[in-house]
Amino acid sequence: MRKTILSLAFLSTMAMLQLNAGEQFAMSDADRAMYKEMLENNPADIFVEEGGEILEEALGGEEALAKFLGVSEKELPKYIAGFPRYVKKLGNVVGLDQVMQAMQVEQGKEKTKLKSGKMFSMLAYVKSLANDEVPNIDLSESHEKEAYALGKKTFMTKRGGRGLSCNACHSADIVGQVLRTQPLPDLGEVASGATWPAYRMTKSSLRTPQRRFQGCMKNALLKVIPIGSKEMVALEVYVTKLAQAKNKKISIPGLKR
Amino acid sequence: MHTKFKYLAMTALFLSASSAVCAMDLTKAYDMPDAAKMIKKDLFPAAKQYTMPKSCNLNDPKAIARGKYMFSNLNGKKAKKPAPEGLVKFVKKTGKDGKVKKKAKQFGNCVACHNIEGARGAGNIGPSLEGYKANFIDTKTRDAQFVYQKIADPRIDNPNTHMTVNLTTGLFTEQEICDFTAYIVSDKKKK
Ligand code: HEC
Ligand code: HEC
Repeated sequence: MRKTILSLAFLSTMAMLQLNAGEQFAMSDADRAMYKEMLENNPADIFVEEGGEILEEALGGEEALAKFLGVSEKELPKYIAGFPRYVKKLGNVVGLDQVMQAMQVEQGKEKTKLKSGKMFSMLAYVKSLANDEVPNIDLSESHEKEAYALGKKTFMTKRGGRGLSCNACHSADIVGQVLRTQPLPDLGEVASGATWPAYRMTKSSLRTPQRRFQGCMKNALLKVIPIGSKEMVALEVYVTKLAQAKNKKISIPGLKR
Repeated sequence: MHTKFKYLAMTALFLSASSAVCAMDLTKAYDMPDAAKMIKKDLFPAAKQYTMPKSCNLNDPKAIARGKYMFSNLNGKKAKKPAPEGLVKFVKKTGKDGKVKKKAKQFGNCVACHNIEGARGAGNIGPSLEGYKANFIDTKTRDAQFVYQKIADPRIDNPNTHMTVNLTTGLFTEQEICDFTAYIVSDKKKK
């Protein structure tokens, strides 16, 4: 059963890829209808569902999560929309994946690696609880303000063999220009901070925002920094705020080329 | 005395056990690897001002020959002629048989962006350097120090330059920057 779902997912991916290549030009009505259908059947839905099951079975589900974070279940979506955020008992501005790890440790369970499919699924599920909320990074909170500043600095820092920064390719004056057939995206406009974790069609897998940043670092010859580091979390804060500034709604899982 | 000690020990035990249940320290419970050091090592060095060293002999034919060789990308695998004196760079490559071999390294390649006398397949991202001596040096618009600085670190002249940074990044040595300079400001016959 699962196999058929996956191969269906694969087929639809292939169809999407072809569709996407033509998207720059014109799309026929039939193509557009198909695209819409694909959006409703995101191949990553399976992973998000799986993440929910893991959370439920291994950690006690949303109830346990809300309790851990010190909020009511009703407040959970709004609270999650504020991530990465300062969690006092963790002593840092952290991502939802790091919250999962701390929950595991508190319950005496083994910590899931930040860079693992299982964690990506859990993270996608938990973030999807905030679907339809606008991201909610709170710069009046001093730790989050600090993280935002670090994120901005990391975004602007020129490094690597070519001396490039994230801003070199994602600044307002250059977005829309084409780098080897890829138009450079305006990260606020494409709502990166609200649409990852996403299904990345060219990688046929579910990818988290920090994993996506690593992709750009690798391609642009910046040393790839680890998921969960202060600077990575800060980058996520910065990119999430860009989506927030454009009033974009959280919509997980996203669907990306 | 004895009972008092026992009582103290019991209290201590109770306190530590209850604190483990109520307020487990979670500040180290999750992964937060360090990236600051990685980023610091990966930083693009700041723009740097240079003075052309006295040792630069701009009239040395061997320096000019080396400058031309590097500029035109006649080196590396494609090299047809032997490299001028004092100028071969190698990289170590492990072959299919597992043996480490020395291979000629590709370097220079200014021609990717600049036209110059006799250039083949020159790019035009940078200005043409053809007739440089007559146009810029003899008219005193530029001098060798300007050319040296431009090649060593073009960001001093233009912070937003698209040209590559050659000395500050350690891509080339001082002597090699001298060789480029000597070649560019030299009198070249059109071929
Ligand atoms: C050399 C150019 C370049 C650099 C440097 C670069 N990017 Fe990108 N980035 C791109 C291109 C091109 C795309 C679109 C690729 C695609 O559509 O698959 C992209 C896509 C992205 C996306 C996905 C956008 C979406 O669809 O939601 C994110 C997020 C992103 N970049 C973040 C970063 C961050 C963070 C950095 C710095 C660590 C960075 N980028 C550095 C070129 C670059
Ligand atoms: C990626 C493109 C690129 C490469 C590679 C490149 N240059 Fe340039 N160069 C430029 C550009 C663009 C300028 C124009 C000024 C500026 O923006 O800095 C320039 C300017 C110059 C000038 C100054 C001309 C003048 O008098 O105004 C010299 C000299 C020069 N380059 C030499 C070299 C040498 C030698 C190399 C190889 C080691 C080289 N360039 C490699 C792009 C390049």
